[in-house]
Amino acid sequence: MEPTPNPLESPDQPKIGVYICRCGGNISDYLDTEKLADTVRGIPGVTLSKVDTFMCSDPGQDRIVQDVQAGLVNRVVVASCSPFLHEVTFKAAVRRGGLNPYLYTHVNIREQGSWAHGHQGDAATQHALHMIAGGVGKVRHLQPLDKIRLPSHRRVLVIGGGVAGMKAALDTARRGLPVLLVEKAPQLGGRSLDLGRVYPSEQEARELVKRLEKDVRAEEKITVLTGSEVTAIGGFIGNFEATISTGSEQRTDAIGAVIMATGFTPYQPPEGEYAFGHSQVVTLPEFVKALRDMPSGKTLTWNGKPVRSVGLMHCVGSRQCEGCFQPQPDGQLNDYCSRVCCTSLLRNAVELRSRFPETQIYDFHQDIRTYGRGQEDYYTCASDQGVTFFRWKGEEPPVVTARDKGGLAITVKDQLTFGEEIEVPVDLLVLGVGMMPGPIADLVDQLKLPVGADRFLQEVHPKLRPVEVAVAGVLLAGTAQGPMSIEESLEGASAAAAKASILLAHDYTDLEPFVALVTPDLCVGCNACVEECQYAGAVTMEAGPEGKSVATVNPGLCKGCGACVAVCPTRAIDVQGWTLDQFDAMIDGMTDEALRVPATQG
Amino acid sequence: MADAVYQPRLLMLATLSCAYPGADAVGKARLEYYPNVHILGVPAPVMFPKEFYLRTYAKGFDGIIIAACGSDCPYKNAYDQLAARIDDLVQDMKQGGLEIARIRTTAICTVCIKPFLKEVEEMKEKLAPLGPVNREIAATLWRAEREAMKTRAAQVA
Ligand SMILES: Cc1cc2nc3c(=O)[nH]c(=O)nc-3n(C[C@H](O)[C@H](O)[C@H](O)COP(=O)(O)OP(=O)(O)OC[C@H]3O[C@@H](n4cnc5c(N)ncnc54)[C@H](O)[C@@H]3O)c2cc1C
Ligand code: SF4
Ligand code: SF4
Repeated sequence: MEPTPNPLESPDQPKIGVYICRCGGNISDYLDTEKLADTVRGIPGVTLSKVDTFMCSDPGQDRIVQDVQAGLVNRVVVASCSPFLHEVTFKAAVRRGGLNPYLYTHVNIREQGSWAHGHQGDAATQHALHMIAGGVGKVRHLQPLDKIRLPSHRRVLVIGGGVAGMKAALDTARRGLPVLLVEKAPQLGGRSLDLGRVYPSEQEARELVKRLEKDVRAEEKITVLTGSEVTAIGGFIGNFEATISTGSEQRTDAIGAVIMATGFTPYQPPEGEYAFGHSQVVTLPEFVKALRDMPSGKTLTWNGKPVRSVGLMHCVGSRQCEGCFQPQPDGQLNDYCSRVCCTSLLRNAVELRSRFPETQIYDFHQDIRTYGRGQEDYYTCASDQGVTFFRWKGEEPPVVTARDKGGLAITVKDQLTFGEEIEVPVDLLVLGVGMMPGPIADLVDQLKLPVGADRFLQEVHPKLRPVEVAVAGVLLAGTAQGPMSIEESLEGASAAAAKASILLAHDYTDLEPFVALVTPDLCVGCNACVEECQYAGAVTMEAGPEGKSVATVNPGLCKGCGACVAVCPTRAIDVQGWTLDQFDAMIDGMTDEALRVPATQG
Repeated sequence: MADAVYQPRLLMLATLSCAYPGADAVGKARLEYYPNVHILGVPAPVMFPKEFYLRTYAKGFDGIIIAACGSDCPYKNAYDQLAARIDDLVQDMKQGGLEIARIRTTAICTVCIKPFLKEVEEMKEKLAPLGPVNREIAATLWRAEREAMKTRAAQVA
């Protein structure tokens, strides 16, 4: 069988350094790291191999830096934990030594080595040896690479003009970046427009919206498009293109980053859930709006009838127990907490008691989750004002029935009185419905946005990267990400704006160079790659030297999937950093029969 | 070593966005599987030509599991393109006399610990009775495919 040619053999004699990490025993308690280092040294091209207790520590990294600087190695392999943890760390060390950071290969001998077959003796060490040999094979074939620098459009698209979208637009514009704020409704403000006074500050929500809107309208860097929708969007960080329909016209805009502030939709109970559909059963958003707009009095009236008692039901469409409720069309229940309903219900209980003193209130909850600053006060205050509380178990929600003489009866197994079954008559029932994501399936699909189990847009990491998504250049603001209060929505919006301004701080973006590249001499111009590629313009046939047609890749449009690679008859096209020659060399290393760790004695 | 039981040498082509972190999750949970499984992180298995698989068998891998992302694939249409390539490979293996049980395509997600272990165990059990791959047959098929590629290239010119 023909050996895989090594393009680097003569001009640039590879001097490979292999660094093996003990991981403080996580690796060396199971694999014989010293033997690995000894055996690896026998592989052609390997000029040194070393073992360190913590390769990721400063002294560990310095080994690489110093060996590179001393000219002892010009290619580096580290065998340690998963590349997802420290590949960047070691690449940076290679760069600090003065070498191109892409002349580096990472071998995972912890998650896929010591932790996965640690109790299998020499066989586990032998396996690690072959994995390292694979890495050595690859590193020998690596070429220096440079990040791809593409010009970026320094302009941000904010989709959704609720409080989060307005705040994100303002903070971005005030850092000097032009913003396009697209809102599908005829006005700005979102769901907050329907609220009255809001916890914890007791401000009028509409006042708050008005203030934000005034600032937004006064900011000349913000273009507001209401009554408008993004009908198509694609591209990548620095280079998105959005088609926006404003009702009167269709426009196309070049964008550098996108902030998703598309908000939430209140849960809509199915007919019959807690007697929903009955004229005296109302959802919290409807109730809050009606309460705001009605005059105060001794007793509340609803549908022209006096309401002597109101029931407040928590967790409607949230924290649903299996088998108790009708699932969503996708078959799933809403098992998450919607976070704002508890405090909003109690806030409105307090308002009801003070504005309609003769209306009694009964509160039905699984738990009271008044989790934020100033929120617990609403619970204390409601208690003090004589609101009666009943607590139900998640798997035994209360049952609501219409009474013959009008009104409703709520039957609850009350945990506060040791599970006693109690029937409470009420004239009106308010359902504390939770939050669901807005209807943004088109945007999710076009931008390939990740969605969590709760169907809201999902961040990369809840603590370390809380407003970024896995798609570079797309950020999250407000309730598009999950249930939040206004306060939290604005915090998220400010964070997203800060992130967007960092991403677009320069008029260029640097992208990983893992895209296809054609070796023109090998290309026979068969067009197979162009036909196989699914991304328009990523690879095209261009006139080459002597009038020959040569496949040419546009690195900005190529996704690096490699679909083209498999169909090329001459291996003329390859994904850089992941070439077929490199893969062949890895296979050769992994199957090298000559490589054996000496058996453990005794 | 006392344990001379034949253990098939397995290659797993694991997508970096799904199956590779899935394999990491297995290790993190300290769940062990037999050590003759070699995991190779790949951006997308759609990049491998038939020739790569045949060469890999010729080099002595007894089985290959393609652990992809399934419907979560981040690349447009790549899952269908991959399926077509594997169909083609299977045809060659059938005709050339290489057991088609030696190739398997599956989807493993980032937290798919149990499916990962199940795939590895099942593949091992399927391959054990077959014994080591016939490297001669694989090499012959590989050479034939290389020739076919050359012909395809020449036809253009
Ligand atoms: C009953 C109730 C009471 C509440 N009480 C309080 C309270 O007292 N205190 C408090 O802090 N919070 C309260 N909240 C929470 C508060 O309503 C939210 O935190 C806030 O509205 C979130 O703002 P947002 O901008 O994220 O989303 P939204 O207000 O939902 O705004 C999203 C905007 O995006 C637009 N949009 C959506 N999709 C698109 C698209 N594809 N293209 C263009 N535009 C789009 C929508 O039209 C909307 O204008 C309450 C919520 C409810 C339901
Ligand atoms: S790597 Fe994928 S996107 Fe790039 S040219 Fe090849 S097929 Fe097209
Ligand atoms: S498939 Fe290969 S040979 Fe054919 S045009 Fe593309 S790069 Fe050139």
